[in-house]
Amino acid sequence: MKRTLVVAAAVAMAVFALSGCAKKVESTKLVYWSMWNQTEPQAQVIEAAVRDFESKNPGVSVEINWNGREIRKTLQPALDNKQVIDLWDEDIERVVKTWGAYALRLDDYLGKSFPTTGGKAYKDSVMGSLVDLARSYSSDKGLYAVPYQPFLFAFMYNKEHFAKAGVTATPRSWDELLDAMAKLKSAGFVPMTVDDAYMDTLPGYYLARAKGYPWVQSLVKDKTNAMWDDPAVMQMAKAFENLAKMGYLSKTVSSNKWPAGQQDVASGAVTMYLNGTWLVNEIMGTTGPDFKWGTFSFPTVPNGKDDGTAANYGAQAFQINKNCATPDLAFALVAHLTTGAWDAELAKKSYGVPVGGTTEWPAQLAEAKAIFENLKTCYPWAAGIQADTDKLPVIVENFTRLVGGTVTAEQFVAAMKR
Amino acid sequence: MRSRLTAFIRGSRRKNLLPGYVAVGLWCLFTFVLIGWIIGASFSTTKDIFSGSLFKSGFHPENYVKALFTHKVGVYFVNSILYTLASCLGIVLVSMPAAYVLARFPFKGDRLVQNAFVSALGIPAIMIIMPLFAVITASGLTNSRMLLVVLYVGINVPFTVFFMITFFKNIPRSFEEAAAIDGCGPMKTFWVIIMPLAQPGIITVTIFNFITVWNEYFMALIFANKTSMRPVAVGLYSMIQSMRYTGDWAGMFAAVVIVFLPTFLLYIFMSEKIIAGVTSGAIKG
Amino acid sequence: MKKNPYTLMKVAFLGPAVLAYVGIFLYPTLRTTVMSFFTVGSITDAMGKWTFAGLGNYADLFASTLFMRSVSNLGGIWLFGGLIVFAFAMLFAVILTSGVRFKSFWRAVIYLPNVISAVAMGTMWMQYVYSSRYGLLKGLFSSLGLERLAAIPWTSPDYIFGALLVAYCFGMVGYFMLIFMAGIEKIPADFYEAATIDGASRAAQFWKITVPLLKGVLRTSLVLWTISTVGFFVWSMIFSPLNPEPGTVTPMVYMYQMVFGANMVVTDRNVGAGAAVGVILSLMVLAIFLVSSRIAREDDLEY
Repeated sequence: MKRTLVVAAAVAMAVFALSGCAKKVESTKLVYWSMWNQTEPQAQVIEAAVRDFESKNPGVSVEINWNGREIRKTLQPALDNKQVIDLWDEDIERVVKTWGAYALRLDDYLGKSFPTTGGKAYKDSVMGSLVDLARSYSSDKGLYAVPYQPFLFAFMYNKEHFAKAGVTATPRSWDELLDAMAKLKSAGFVPMTVDDAYMDTLPGYYLARAKGYPWVQSLVKDKTNAMWDDPAVMQMAKAFENLAKMGYLSKTVSSNKWPAGQQDVASGAVTMYLNGTWLVNEIMGTTGPDFKWGTFSFPTVPNGKDDGTAANYGAQAFQINKNCATPDLAFALVAHLTTGAWDAELAKKSYGVPVGGTTEWPAQLAEAKAIFENLKTCYPWAAGIQADTDKLPVIVENFTRLVGGTVTAEQFVAAMKR
Repeated sequence: MRSRLTAFIRGSRRKNLLPGYVAVGLWCLFTFVLIGWIIGASFSTTKDIFSGSLFKSGFHPENYVKALFTHKVGVYFVNSILYTLASCLGIVLVSMPAAYVLARFPFKGDRLVQNAFVSALGIPAIMIIMPLFAVITASGLTNSRMLLVVLYVGINVPFTVFFMITFFKNIPRSFEEAAAIDGCGPMKTFWVIIMPLAQPGIITVTIFNFITVWNEYFMALIFANKTSMRPVAVGLYSMIQSMRYTGDWAGMFAAVVIVFLPTFLLYIFMSEKIIAGVTSGAIKG
Repeated sequence: MKKNPYTLMKVAFLGPAVLAYVGIFLYPTLRTTVMSFFTVGSITDAMGKWTFAGLGNYADLFASTLFMRSVSNLGGIWLFGGLIVFAFAMLFAVILTSGVRFKSFWRAVIYLPNVISAVAMGTMWMQYVYSSRYGLLKGLFSSLGLERLAAIPWTSPDYIFGALLVAYCFGMVGYFMLIFMAGIEKIPADFYEAATIDGASRAAQFWKITVPLLKGVLRTSLVLWTISTVGFFVWSMIFSPLNPEPGTVTPMVYMYQMVFGANMVVTDRNVGAGAAVGVILSLMVLAIFLVSSRIAREDDLEY
């Protein structure tokens, strides 16, 4: 036993010594923390693009750390920790609002041209609306993030189900939605589902359609809870209580842990899901490429304010560390990834939207494109219902009960005022 | 007469043991079903898992290949082995001498030191994590394997010292007396004579430390956030998240199996030792 | 003063361990305590940048619904979980010490979950036992024809706390069972034989002999249980991987969100409040420790 201990110790020490010596002689190195998991298609395209960048820029090496969505938990401590991370990516709203203080202001780069922009300035080769969106999230309206992979948040649905149920036009109002759901149900489909991860988007969107998103934000931030007495809240609660009562929602809706619900859409058991256009890619493994996707904007609601020209849209976005030693090089990499061939490749492989507006949208997102082009107002994520971190879990919990059919609309509103 | 009586009592006691067997048996059955199903699912496909009949489409060991290579469980695995071995060694080197001194050589304030170590067992991780984070950041030590090992050593020293004090107290003093007569200095005596005698205790406590360090999650989440530095607990968590994104349940279960296998095997071979350790360590709190 | 020849050895042998204690436990604990009275923007801010807040952080915490929910969840885990774990552990300890066959096999299997990573264990429960599609409970109940039970959504808000509690307790039973068994085996067999001859029932023997003689062991176990529940974190993360949920949030999770910010929306990060969470938890441990040592003094009974 003693000998084994000694051997184990020796081995441990030796491996340590080796791992300590393994550092290479460095040229210029960029460290990129990615929101993708290495097995996702986006990661595969990005990795190929990065290797291409390295071969075009001799002496440059890029170290990629595939974090997956766990980056939401790990990036902050790492930045606080002053780790060298030159660039990272996540949702556009999140990167600007949460990590904006660590990021470099990028406005000066917009006018420059890059090998992949075909002689044009960078700002002319990407969707201007998204650049403006990135600006709008920052406190000084500067550009702190570079968008790529745009998305739209709307109802994603199975077109075959609609056709079989005899729903010919996509619903524009809540009543039309109810009609469609009734037809779907009698055709034997479960009209709608949701997972815990997106639960809050339903009340958020409904309330924003009724009163506009700034109202939703002040509603959840209202410490007196008086705003919950507004008739719009009860109307919303009644509307979803009704969906539950009519059997328009999946039976497992209250226990769905993401991605259980979206897998039901993928397997063809459920018709629609309020989600991002990324859903096409996320469940591609189960649906296969021939799945007939449709998209419609959240319908208008009775006595409402907003219509289909308002939605949460955005993008994933790259940020560059303000302490980055070689910001020009970092931006050159970002430009390489977000324009030209690699932008198109990323959209193609991940069934997503290219950020260089001219490139074609994938067939699955044809309806989404039409909505996207008509947008006038951008909702924040979940239409502002997440504005108070302390209130959010309470809303989600009680709304889950409401759609699960275990509480009534009145009980929901009462719970929210507690 | 007396032995007959006890035999009679024993016999009568054994008769109504049936409910006991049932209770224990059901519990163990549940454990087997739980672990057995996970192992089964790890060799199945996502589709079969959802349809409720494993192995409908045959046996699929490729889940493991995928988990080990595509998802880099291999890397996490090697990391965990490194962290665990180095930490266990470090813990022994730091704790044994301290426990020995506390057990054998009374000095002014020895109770204080001993109580300090005991109190450390009750301090929640949340109390120490933030200052450690600040200090480590200020000194630029993040993301080195050494750092995590040093932390694991430090965190597990109080328990180990506490555990070993009783052990050293039970070693007869005559060994040291004999060594002193032979002209062996006290430090040498400890390393050459006492340490080998303490081996059973060292092994027990090391098994404990092994399991603790292997399964540790919180420190590693914060201090080893690079993919290449992650140990299995953090790696598995992120992998589970990632497989949920791609809907690969079979792969996820394979990853779960890979992660629990080492401690599971260690346990199968050493369960008697581990159990003896729990009981001797905890009974006198 | 006579110079002790062992002084050098004491210093050399105790030094590293004491250093580790001071560096990893004492200094951080003190600093966190101080920090809890200040408003601290970022975890890496130097002490000079802290602004004194008095009891402000504590007041904020007690006004936060989510934090109060996390405390009540922890209380629930501690109390109900404690009752479940201690009851089962005691039951199995009594069964296994009453002369059953294959004792060491049963014992080994019941203890087994303790050696498996919590991440792995939690995933098994979450993704298998509670699954509303192919789950163990669903399958079991529907094969027994109990459709009502089979349809229970275990991970919905109304059940998730219970689901979490059961999964966590399942793993903890084995550990306390071992401790109780060791305690019971120390009780001389004569006690039971004498009681049996006197005609005392098994239940009477349990309450009159086993429990009183195990007081010291129970006290230790209570402290151990408190320590292990206070750090409740991984299980919550597995049961609510995306956002903190009222049913599963615990102070540790709350602190993580407070200090390292895991949410979409930036609330003002206040590391001081995170520190206050730590202080509150430590005080709880201390209180339990004091109370338990009052209830059952270790030297109550000698045998």
